[in-house]
Amino acid sequence: MKLNRRAIFGTITASTLAFSLAACGGGDDSADGDGEGVSGEITASGASFPDAFYAAAIDAYADVNPDLVLTYNAVGSGTGKSEFGEGINDFAGTDSLVGDDEGIEPGSYQYIPTVAAPITVSYNLPEVEGLQLSQETLAQVFQGDITKWNDEAIAADNPEATLPDTDITIAHRSDGSGTTSNFTTFLDEATDSWTLGAGDTVEWPANAVGGEKNTGVAQAIQDTEGAIGYVDLADANASGLVTASIENADGNFTQPTLEGTTAGLEGAVVNDDLSYNPLNASGPDAYPITAPTYIIIRTEYEDANVAAGVKEFLTWLLTDGQDLAAENDFAPLPDGLRQQALDALNETIAD
Amino acid sequence: MTATATPPSPEDLDLGGDSRARGADRGFRGLVTFAGLTVLIVLGLILVTTTLRALPAIQEEGVVGFVTGTRWAPNDDVFGTFVMLYGTLVTSLIGMIIAVPVSIGIALFVTEVARRGARKYIVTIIDLLATVPSVVFGLVGVLVVVPAITSSYQWFADLVAPVPGLQSIFGAANTGRNYFTAGLVLAVMIIPIITSISREVFATVPETDKQAAYALGATRWEMIKGAMLPHSFGGLVGASMLGLGRAMGETIAVTLVIGGSFHISANLFAPGNTMAAAIAQQWGESSGLHTDALVGIGVILFVITVLINFLARWVVRRAEIKMKGAHS
Amino acid sequence: MSSLTTTNDQASPPDLSGRNLSGRRAFADRAATVGIGLCVLVAAFPLALVVWQVIERGGSAMSLAFLTEDIPRNYRNAGPGMGPAILGTLTTTGMAALIAIPIGVLGAVYLNEYGKTSPLAKFIRTMADVMTGVPSIVMGLFIYVVWVLVVGEKNGFGGALSLACLMLPIVIRSAEEMLRLVPDELRQASAALGARKWRTTLTVVLPTASSGITSGSLLAIARAAGETAPIIVTVGLTFAANPDLFAGGNTTLAAQIYRNATQPFEASQERAWGAALALIGIVFLFTILSRVISARFAIDRR
Repeated sequence: MKLNRRAIFGTITASTLAFSLAACGGGDDSADGDGEGVSGEITASGASFPDAFYAAAIDAYADVNPDLVLTYNAVGSGTGKSEFGEGINDFAGTDSLVGDDEGIEPGSYQYIPTVAAPITVSYNLPEVEGLQLSQETLAQVFQGDITKWNDEAIAADNPEATLPDTDITIAHRSDGSGTTSNFTTFLDEATDSWTLGAGDTVEWPANAVGGEKNTGVAQAIQDTEGAIGYVDLADANASGLVTASIENADGNFTQPTLEGTTAGLEGAVVNDDLSYNPLNASGPDAYPITAPTYIIIRTEYEDANVAAGVKEFLTWLLTDGQDLAAENDFAPLPDGLRQQALDALNETIAD
Repeated sequence: MTATATPPSPEDLDLGGDSRARGADRGFRGLVTFAGLTVLIVLGLILVTTTLRALPAIQEEGVVGFVTGTRWAPNDDVFGTFVMLYGTLVTSLIGMIIAVPVSIGIALFVTEVARRGARKYIVTIIDLLATVPSVVFGLVGVLVVVPAITSSYQWFADLVAPVPGLQSIFGAANTGRNYFTAGLVLAVMIIPIITSISREVFATVPETDKQAAYALGATRWEMIKGAMLPHSFGGLVGASMLGLGRAMGETIAVTLVIGGSFHISANLFAPGNTMAAAIAQQWGESSGLHTDALVGIGVILFVITVLINFLARWVVRRAEIKMKGAHS
Repeated sequence: MSSLTTTNDQASPPDLSGRNLSGRRAFADRAATVGIGLCVLVAAFPLALVVWQVIERGGSAMSLAFLTEDIPRNYRNAGPGMGPAILGTLTTTGMAALIAIPIGVLGAVYLNEYGKTSPLAKFIRTMADVMTGVPSIVMGLFIYVVWVLVVGEKNGFGGALSLACLMLPIVIRSAEEMLRLVPDELRQASAALGARKWRTTLTVVLPTASSGITSGSLLAIARAAGETAPIIVTVGLTFAANPDLFAGGNTTLAAQIYRNATQPFEASQERAWGAALALIGIVFLFTILSRVISARFAIDRR
């Protein structure tokens, strides 16, 4: 009996020890590449908005240069930036610009625009197709001023539709999100009615439902008839949501298509540091709620190999990698902006 | 069971031996004392690091404002955590109201009702329930329970609509992501811990008390009511408090089903938020003062957990004194 | 001298047999039994629901390839696997156990053998209970500050540390209960044979309580394996298996479940549920093992 107990006890302890010690020792060094590409490991983290695209890009890049192992961890723009400031990652993805209190020294980073995507306004009203919403109506709906679908403002935007007497349920992000930030910035800048301000978390009206991440919002919309919410295009498409046409700066109602997004990007003003604002851009076909996303790189890298790896990957991302955008429901950068990004990349990380 | 005189404890015996043996004894004692102190060290470190980090945000609002403020608006640097405090308390309360009777019932079943053979299986089921990861509970909650249960909520709300008091508590349910669903999920998650401790507590009821009750002609239920429950009251309260602590700290499962609203509502079928869920939701995108405020929420949660634990111990002591006479 | 009982003088003693039960009492007893039985069903139902859903949604993803191959970089790609996550779960949880169990058991030894009812011991017991209530994300934040920022990278050891902190109070509490069950006579007998306290503890008390301690520890391990929030904050990410806890990012099944289930793509969701199935399998295995050990080697109560 005693032997048995000891034996079992001992085996469990021994195997746990063995596992953990194997974990201590382990880890092969990455093999040196025999090609011309940089080899090594790059750690990146940040925004979850472009995560689906970056994941596809990193997957494709593994075929281009298998010796450069990239990992992008979608922890959120805020955490990505703070990890950048702490030196934990090699580059960060962010939907929002770097603020003063985020732990990043001014002048130590450079914005590189990568892609953009439309933020759809998706809704759940089986009888109504082709919903159109003007900017002011949109603001009032998401603020809780308009509570029923057959309100006169919505009817005015949709003269031919029969709107039911259902309650409007607002679906929003419960987690802090760059998507929320861009959506509310649009409402803030483009409309007079919007009072809730802009940011990655806002004070939505009572009885609004929050969902975790874009998928959560999509699920919330699908669960409740009469729900309306904002979801990025990739999630809206994958979840089969119906999207509304939104009035743009020129007064046309546009659908959240990639063409509309690229049109919006072309109309955007680009600043010197390569930050730009495509929201409510001018242009007849522009979709007004277009969200930019950036990668920030260091102006000085301690490890030259890491710098070379970052530069090699981002150069690919801004050239061949742009072809992957469309099939992942993201809009590639227009040529002008793309070239500016490449120039900035080459200037910041010299060969 | 015990002799009338208690023998001296091994420490008091002079076992002789050289100073090396005594040194080993002292060394071992030091080692285990240090191990015990690790708990205090880690907790102390957690308290210090989190409070320091949270200080700027708390200073912004003042301690009272931070705790009682009803507006949470990071964009304006307004940080009032009352909504989340309310949500944590409400969801945990719902969880407790459901879980405590059920857990006591299961513990009674295992100790009194079940046949010997069946006991093992039931205990295994409860243990398995304890180990289901919280993220899996959350996913099943949001993908399966939420869509299915919303119509039931609405049906119940319509049912009690005529009753004035209940109408505000069980109001309109336009979504399944609300306080009540979160409370349900929490209940399922804390049942195992309350059950296992209740089981231990019931096992310490002297057999003689139980037999005495039977000898007086009590039915099983009367025996339970008269002999077991009063004796175990303190332990059951302690078990419930542990469950409450776990419920208040539960993060991922609640995040997925609570609905993320920053409004207080008496309506249990309305979306809300809890402290742990708010931290988890906003952490990724937050920075600067916002992050500090989130850490501050963690500090408050920590403090509340301490307070509840102390309260529980006080309640248990009072109950024990009443039941058995004062003893240390 | 009066006799105590004379059946002739007294009224007949009350009939305490079950036949004399009033309707109300019998009904109350019946109802209580049914109610208690229902409670068990109430607990079994969610377990059955979860297991059924996980098997239904994750069963199609499960295969040997799923358990061993690397995680696909692109969410949209259908197919396996979760190998690195399984390795990550086992290594981080194993390392956490290596840290938490010895400290926890020694701490329980202090509480039960040395401290007993001293103020310090009581304080530690209360604080251990408090520690079980610390939200897992706060634990993760704490480790982020004291480990990740200090080391400058996210690696598996940070996750192991946060899991260890979560496990510690559970191990201490359950180990203390087990030690309390060891009969005092054993300790006294050992002292009578001349053994010092440390010797008694190591050679008599701990082995006697070992099965209970093991089963309690296995339960703590099973709980730690399912933690998500602290892993997300401290461990980073990897797509290829990384057995080294001290270099480079890592990932666990729980983190992968969360990461993939919150993506809209079917392939991603299928992998998430497959990972859930794998995780539940591992965790259930530990639990059942714990039950078997404690049942076979349990201390008989006197």
